[in-house]
Amino acid sequence: MKLEDIARELGFTELTPEVSGSRDAEIDRGYASDLLSDVLAHAPEDGLLVTLQVHLNVIAVASHAQMAAVVFAGDRRPEDDVLAKAVAEGLSLYSSPADTFDIVGRLYALGVKGSHA
Amino acid sequence: MNVCFADLHVHTALSPCADNAMTPPVIVGAALTERLGMIAVCDHNSARNVAAVQEVAGDHLVVLAGMEITTVEECHVVGLFAGAAAAEAAGAEVGACLEIIDDAYETLFGEQPVLDADGRETARERLALATATSLDVNAAVALVHRHGGLAVAAHVDRRSFGVIGQLGFFPAEAGFDAVELSRHVPAGPEHEAEYAVYGLPVLRSSDAHHVHDVGAARTEVICERPGFDELSLAVRGLEGRRIGDA
Repeated sequence: MKLEDIARELGFTELTPEVSGSRDAEIDRGYASDLLSDVLAHAPEDGLLVTLQVHLNVIAVASHAQMAAVVFAGDRRPEDDVLAKAVAEGLSLYSSPADTFDIVGRLYALGVKGSHA
Repeated sequence: MNVCFADLHVHTALSPCADNAMTPPVIVGAALTERLGMIAVCDHNSARNVAAVQEVAGDHLVVLAGMEITTVEECHVVGLFAGAAAAEAAGAEVGACLEIIDDAYETLFGEQPVLDADGRETARERLALATATSLDVNAAVALVHRHGGLAVAAHVDRRSFGVIGQLGFFPAEAGFDAVELSRHVPAGPEHEAEYAVYGLPVLRSSDAHHVHDVGAARTEVICERPGFDELSLAVRGLEGRRIGDA
């Protein structure tokens, strides 16, 4: 499913409208973790990350893991410098008021799976 | 007894997330401008720039040797040591728990220049200082203690990388010597109350990554003179030394 369709379907708020290139990206893998070392080691390329962490290293880690987008759960919002870094790296950021469990459940129902499904 | 204003958590350019302008002369200049009597250099997972800052400071400013360890739970633990040699020995152990950087690392996380006292780059750190070590909180505190240091739970008020934010509780059994509040907590004892419940002294440090942050938060150390031994006494509340309520 396309990233922009997922975002619309699940009611994500787009935090980086400047990053338009990845809206058409096909997302079929995802990862949920709040430990960045774990994301770095295990997150799937071109996947979607669901996390509570909103600090600057999230952008570096998600970019390094070549992920397509990050969704911040629980309505958490990063600071402006984090948004700017994401735009510079071409990484799309979204926010959702839902908690991680519900976001992942709804993603799964849309066909976005983990690496071992 | 005298009052010494201390900023016990300052990064240099060695930390990938810190401004590259954070050179030893710039840091010492800023600390003197801020009328601090003591600072501690605490880069992420390394103490390699400590000695250079101490060399610049000379007799004008006491610079404690420190390091900010990232635990496997992604909690930050500040270690403060009696000297650069102890900090570097601790740093070597911490470094053994880190990976080597790859080609993408510096672009994404930042550069890690090792600097001399003039601020010139003498080497580039190849360990991934921005990432977590394989040490858990208890092991990080024990490592600091093994090298004779004080272990401080860094910026416990912050959701990112503070022990309470990461673990959901304060790990009393880890054996921390003090807790540190960030500059985001307003000054005054009424704002410290919720962090004073652990029975540990509360330090206030800037966690400066940019020159304008140096001294933005400070700890009042009641002691004879600035220095590690006096700070150790103050943290333990011994021989009339103590941490003030600034």
